[in-house]
Amino acid sequence: MFLDDEIAESRTRQNEARWGMYLALAALAACIVMILGLMTQASAQTVNPPPQQMAGYVRPNDMGTGALLFPSKEPGYFVEAPRLATDVEIDVNGPIMRTRVTQRFQNPSKGWVEGTYVFPLPDDSAVDTLKMQIGDRFIEGQIKPRQAAKEIYEQAKAEGKKAALLEQQRPNLFTNQVANIGPGETVVVQIEYQSGVRQSNDAFTFRFPMVVAPRYNPQPIVQTVDLDSRSGYAVSDPVPNREKIEPPVLDPRENAKVNPVTLTVNLKAGFPIAEVTSAFHEIDTATIDQLTRKITLKAGSVPADRDFELSWKAVEGKSPYAGLFRETVGGKTYLLSFVTPPVAATETDKPVKREVVFVIDNSGSMAGPSMEQAKESLALAISRLKPEDRFNVIRFDDTMTVHFPALVEATPDKRENAIAFVRGLTADGGTEMLPALEAALRTQGPVAAGALRQVVFLTDGAIGNEGQLFQEIQTNRGDARVFTVGIGSAPNSHFMTKAAEYGRGTFTLIGSESQVAARMGELFTKLESPVMTDISATFEGAAKGDITPNPMPDLYRGEPVVLTAELNGTAPEGKLRIVGKAGDQPFRVEMDIAKAATGEGIAKLWARRKIDDLEASASAIADPASLDRQIETVALAHHLVSRVTSLVAVDATPSRPAGENLTATDMPLNLPAGWDFGKVFGEKPDANGTVDEREASVESQTKLVMVTADRMLAAPTARAAGLIAEANNQVNLPQTATEADKQILIGLMLLAFALVAGSTFVFWRGQIAALVIAGVRRHGR
Amino acid sequence: MAADDDLPGPRPSFLARLSAFETIVVAIIALIALAGLMLVGKGFYMKAKAEVSQVLLKKSFDAQLHGEADGKPWPWADFETTAEIMAPRINRSAIVLKGASGQALAFGPAWLANTPLPGEEGTSVIAAHRDTHFRWLKDVSPGDLLVLTRKDGRRFLFRAGEGRVARWDESGINASASGHKLALATCFPFDAIEPGPMRYIVTAELVGEQHPVPLTTGSIAK
Repeated sequence: MFLDDEIAESRTRQNEARWGMYLALAALAACIVMILGLMTQASAQTVNPPPQQMAGYVRPNDMGTGALLFPSKEPGYFVEAPRLATDVEIDVNGPIMRTRVTQRFQNPSKGWVEGTYVFPLPDDSAVDTLKMQIGDRFIEGQIKPRQAAKEIYEQAKAEGKKAALLEQQRPNLFTNQVANIGPGETVVVQIEYQSGVRQSNDAFTFRFPMVVAPRYNPQPIVQTVDLDSRSGYAVSDPVPNREKIEPPVLDPRENAKVNPVTLTVNLKAGFPIAEVTSAFHEIDTATIDQLTRKITLKAGSVPADRDFELSWKAVEGKSPYAGLFRETVGGKTYLLSFVTPPVAATETDKPVKREVVFVIDNSGSMAGPSMEQAKESLALAISRLKPEDRFNVIRFDDTMTVHFPALVEATPDKRENAIAFVRGLTADGGTEMLPALEAALRTQGPVAAGALRQVVFLTDGAIGNEGQLFQEIQTNRGDARVFTVGIGSAPNSHFMTKAAEYGRGTFTLIGSESQVAARMGELFTKLESPVMTDISATFEGAAKGDITPNPMPDLYRGEPVVLTAELNGTAPEGKLRIVGKAGDQPFRVEMDIAKAATGEGIAKLWARRKIDDLEASASAIADPASLDRQIETVALAHHLVSRVTSLVAVDATPSRPAGENLTATDMPLNLPAGWDFGKVFGEKPDANGTVDEREASVESQTKLVMVTADRMLAAPTARAAGLIAEANNQVNLPQTATEADKQILIGLMLLAFALVAGSTFVFWRGQIAALVIAGVRRHGR
Repeated sequence: MAADDDLPGPRPSFLARLSAFETIVVAIIALIALAGLMLVGKGFYMKAKAEVSQVLLKKSFDAQLHGEADGKPWPWADFETTAEIMAPRINRSAIVLKGASGQALAFGPAWLANTPLPGEEGTSVIAAHRDTHFRWLKDVSPGDLLVLTRKDGRRFLFRAGEGRVARWDESGINASASGHKLALATCFPFDAIEPGPMRYIVTAELVGEQHPVPLTTGSIAK
């Protein structure tokens, strides 16, 4: 009786349940599909194709040697102007060298362009001369305050005159804007700079940048022939056989032929020379006398991936340990002195025991690549510690953590532990540096006997209380040395340079991920080698002068003390006394100023160092404008390019008389007196190749010119060229989307999924199971 | 949410009745729900952070305008304020921070420090997130007035031009171009949920400076 009812009821229930289940399953499937869809979209969008990069395209910051860049058709990229010839002349005079680089370029296009000449330089270079020939005009750079120079340049550019503006971008990178380069015109750039010769142990070295910048990936040139329907002819293409043109040659040997380089070094060491070696290039050395050599580059020996490096040594036993040179400029005397302190015997063989306190900034301003670089650098530093060293790690934002309660032995497991701690850091919060500094300087216990206490600070230096921090370093440093490592693209270099100076350490700048290994390597060498400390220089007797660097930095093994000074009067008297400590051994050197040998370029070197000192003292000077004025005064007096002064080139030749047509070949005859561009004209220094090789060279040269012309964005008028160059100089915009929306969306999806899955589960538990069992029973029956 | 109620619900009788397999299923569902909640929470936290920080920034910026010492908006703040930007027609404003490094963008629009200060010769660039501070940038129409008050109290009026879309590395903005310009940038498309390479840029021209500098902020004199 009730059975029918029961069966009917169970049927409807069964039906309901089945439908419910289908619904639930469908919802489940939908959820999964939606989430999958979200994920795939995410991955599809994150793999954005990189901006189109093509062979021959370069970026100014990548340049490793002098080059003239023209705006290209690819926004943000440039093409290198064909470099017809390069001549380098380096005069080494004792510890000073003067380099003159002359390069000849060509505008291969049929339009007007504004180019940028980029030249990377050694860090301590003082650039003072710019001479250029653009087309039929000769122009020479005058030193002016940066803003004034810019105005003069813009004015000249607007008037359609040839003009050039050489500005300092970074202390080791200068750019030279060249306006109004006409169709097919030749540009000759000559810059001169002064720099110091590096001395380490008993070897003297210098480097000249020659690395060819990376080219971006090749991409086939696609050409569509545009046939004229009436005539049947294709509209004329300026570059025949375009599809056969290969990307500009990258082979260094080819490059040498396309960009012939002549390099001459007049080496006057000031002492008997034993040997002269070049690490990466083949050279010819001619002996003039015992003290003088003339070095030239062997033809064809221009590896494009290495800088030219020359080093020389003195004859055994004749190695100078001290020197004093003088130059008189404008009623003042400039001195250059170097002294190699004696190496204390006890320190040469025994490795130094170190106590290192690492301090890492993980504040919000470090977020992103800076933090990654800092973590990587620190992990590298910790892994270099030796078991006998002791160390600790402190991290800080607006809070701080001291990782180990006290300094610990750098055993492998302790190092692992510390590295794991560092890797786990995230950047967040404010920058409260003082407590961390105090912890590093005061609470790490006394320095063990014979150990060297070092504090290594990794930060971007985004802080406001510099004065307090300097105070802390000065008063509580004790015997510790403070080394600063600047992280990120724009760290506060002033703070870190000065902090390292007060802390008697060094400042290391890490600008990108790729520099971590190399720069940290340099720092480790310093950290691991013993130091010469407490060096100071004074004048005794009548003389009184302005000595740079001030204060004197510590020295590492084999480095000499090099100082420059400015003295009043043309014939100062008295003595220069340098004192310091090599380990526990004090040393003291006195030199008679009157006996100094004459040298050239000392004044410029002094000025350059003075500017560095001024820049480093920025934090102590309240008014940035007065600092700028001080730098400007020094730079203008010595004709130097600096952060606040630029060289602006003005027409040095009279206007060309109307009707008189000059061709490019006439040009070399019209050189102004005292100018020497000869080496980049004349015969191409390619004569020792075979005829085939020379032909190949000419052919690749032609190709290069055609490709460049094709890729340049040349303008029909000079004015338009300026606009193009301006448009190319653009600002990159930061990422301005948060993950918030995506996270909320995914979160909601997950919640919906859980909800559906949960209901399905409950439903299944409550009814489906029973139903399945019932079904099984029924079938079984 | 309902799933949460259902699953780890404090009904021992229910949980006790589950088999081992079913317990695992319940646990997985609970985990998914928890992850979902955390993501939603994190997303809303970002938005809340952006909103709340602007209120605090506004307070400290006003204090600065009134000549008070550089009070930080909150003790662990890691940036400086530079200016306030207002769009009177759509009644929106935001405090602009200096530099787009690190986390500054999470708290407010950032003036790119490699461009000139707003109001100076050249093109100044201010960028902000499309889903927080510059959500209103798409509503700025050509001809709108933008009012920019700098930290030093000077107030500039800019007239907005057409908006355009460009890649981040092909912005076409030249910081040293002639004229006094202001470029506001945010990500594009506005409703995308993924960070992409495209940016929406509104360029505005300086039309004048407001004199004298009113020390009371908030209202726009027309």
